[in-house]
Amino acid sequence: MRGVLAPLAVFAVLFGVLPAGLSAAGSGYLFRLADVTLIFCILSLSMQLITGVAGLLTLGHAAFYGIGAYTAAILSTRLGFDAGLTIPASGLVSALFGVLIALPTMRLVSIYFAVATLGLGEMIYVTLLNWVSFTRGPLGIGDIPPLRPFGFDLSSPLGTYLLIAALAALALLVVHRVAHSYYGNTLRALREDDQCADAMGLPVVRLKIETFAIATFLAGIAGALWAHTTGYVNPADFRFAESILILAMVVVGGLGSIPGAIVGAALLILLPEALRAIGRVRILAVGLIMFLCILFLPKGLFGEVTALDLVRRQFGAAWRGSPTDRPLGWR
Amino acid sequence: MTTTRRGLLATAALAPLAAPVATAQPRRILIGYQLPLTGEFSQYGERFRNSALMALDAFNRSGRLPVPVEIVFEDTRSDPREAVAVARKFVDNREIVAVLGDFSSSASIQAGRVYAEAGMPQLSQTASHPDFVKISPWQFRNITTQAYEGPRVAEWMRENGVRRVAVVAIQNDWGQSVVSNFAEAFRAGGGEMVATQFFNPGNREFRAILTEIARARPDAIYIGMFYEDGAAFLQQRRQLNIRTPVYATSSLYEPKLVELAGAGAEGVFLSTTFMATSPEPHVRAYVEEYRRRFGSEPNMFSAQAFDAVNILLEAIVRAWPEVTRARVRDELAKTRDFPGVTGVTTFDPETREPAKTLARMRIENGQFVLLR
Repeated sequence: MRGVLAPLAVFAVLFGVLPAGLSAAGSGYLFRLADVTLIFCILSLSMQLITGVAGLLTLGHAAFYGIGAYTAAILSTRLGFDAGLTIPASGLVSALFGVLIALPTMRLVSIYFAVATLGLGEMIYVTLLNWVSFTRGPLGIGDIPPLRPFGFDLSSPLGTYLLIAALAALALLVVHRVAHSYYGNTLRALREDDQCADAMGLPVVRLKIETFAIATFLAGIAGALWAHTTGYVNPADFRFAESILILAMVVVGGLGSIPGAIVGAALLILLPEALRAIGRVRILAVGLIMFLCILFLPKGLFGEVTALDLVRRQFGAAWRGSPTDRPLGWR
Repeated sequence: MTTTRRGLLATAALAPLAAPVATAQPRRILIGYQLPLTGEFSQYGERFRNSALMALDAFNRSGRLPVPVEIVFEDTRSDPREAVAVARKFVDNREIVAVLGDFSSSASIQAGRVYAEAGMPQLSQTASHPDFVKISPWQFRNITTQAYEGPRVAEWMRENGVRRVAVVAIQNDWGQSVVSNFAEAFRAGGGEMVATQFFNPGNREFRAILTEIARARPDAIYIGMFYEDGAAFLQQRRQLNIRTPVYATSSLYEPKLVELAGAGAEGVFLSTTFMATSPEPHVRAYVEEYRRRFGSEPNMFSAQAFDAVNILLEAIVRAWPEVTRARVRDELAKTRDFPGVTGVTTFDPETREPAKTLARMRIENGQFVLLR
């Protein structure tokens, strides 16, 4: 019964309650917040697959988001492609880069992988910034048309919302199916101990590359949605800080948990807006709430492993306490 | 009778569609201001808000409109997500008739797309990106770009008899625009560009560049950079004893330049729109009140915001009593000879680019001296 109820509830909220409520409010502001939240849900879900499920700490996720956004921007402004083509193309280009980057880095373990993704993410950012003839560098790319896939005009707030919601639902379905299957269990085996998984005969490197491809494909789609709904992209929008924001969503929501990724994204996008009333200290308040989350809920809101445990494992055995006498998290 | 009744009914039916002012006199007029009050650019947002409050208080005290004008400040951190969300928020609020901001060009453009679509006049005090005013007829800016400054420096040099110029500029989008705009105007006036050198951001070693341009025997050197680089450049020029006069972009107008470059800065020519030590009474009044009220020195950024708010208030006065978004836009486009603290400002009604009087300055005895 539960297997039917949860998807039904998600479907009802995403395509019933939310759009009805937003339309009734008639507020472009709330529609925009819903769009951005859903775009970041796609990003946090895709990172959840890499970091939460497969246990690979990535610090360069914003770069794939950026590649997707620039692919959509360039294809639509220079070649006149509409969103029906640019969205899948952005996913594919991003996944292509994901695989190219994964091939050499997947043999790296723990913190070395994190640092490699950090470096590669910055390289992609610097390329977007300095390849002036192709990306227009610091000038950015403007006049990106709104969402009109295959001639259907979805540029109205409701149309845009529904398209983004549909793609977010699709991303949710894909990540859920991948994570909750035998395949997902093998990924969890990698997260818990990749040497052991290797010894059991699991194709560790191939699994990691495949996961990376799926996740970067989704990040590329999120980038295309951002480009079309915002109309202007600039390299500065895809810097390291964005990667950290997505990572924070995953950690606050709970590593390895799909509802966690969604709640984390919603929390970190909507909280700064909800706290506008308190003025200049709002960003401080968001930081405080995140800090308290980690302090009192080391597993995040819904997580299956603690963030500290992941970090410990990333930094190697020297940090790893004995699991029996050492409670996880704080204390 | 029937026609009148029908007319009345039609008016009543249309009333909710028209702007609130068309039906009844508003009790207040709202302006939105999106700016970075937190985050890495908060120091600029703080200055904008200080200046805006000063301009607003003076305006409301003057009683030029029978109703008060209020500004709604919204923090965006100059972050693209928040800039667009705030733009949507301002558009939703039917009371808001015009918007000021954002700070960075990038955030201003992203918000500008929303304003263009919704028909909201937007005036940025600092967005200097060439594409910003090209988004739609709803975008205005109160900052001159190199497309404006370059030709004026070229003209100044011609007046001083300079025929051969060497240019040194920072390698970024702004530096590129310094060189291209100046070179075009200078060549058109019959001048000769004998050397053009770009240096990478962060590089403070100019001796090789200086030796090379000195060999080309220019009548003057034009430098496009920020004051930290400019100070190093001017010091090294003095060490190499190159006596060629130096002209600089307005970005070098900063008291720290003289402090850092010392005697090397003597004799440098530069232009600026805002001069805190200007003897003009309205500039002095602004500087003194800012200092008294906020306990800090106003700079170019604070002055840009002060003028932007006043230009918008003037447009609202002209639009009164029918203060709608469309009317305010049309009146903004008619801004002519506005006597601001950053110079007399005129907006081009077509391109919506500002033209300002540029003050000419020279550094003499460690002071920026206004040339007449």
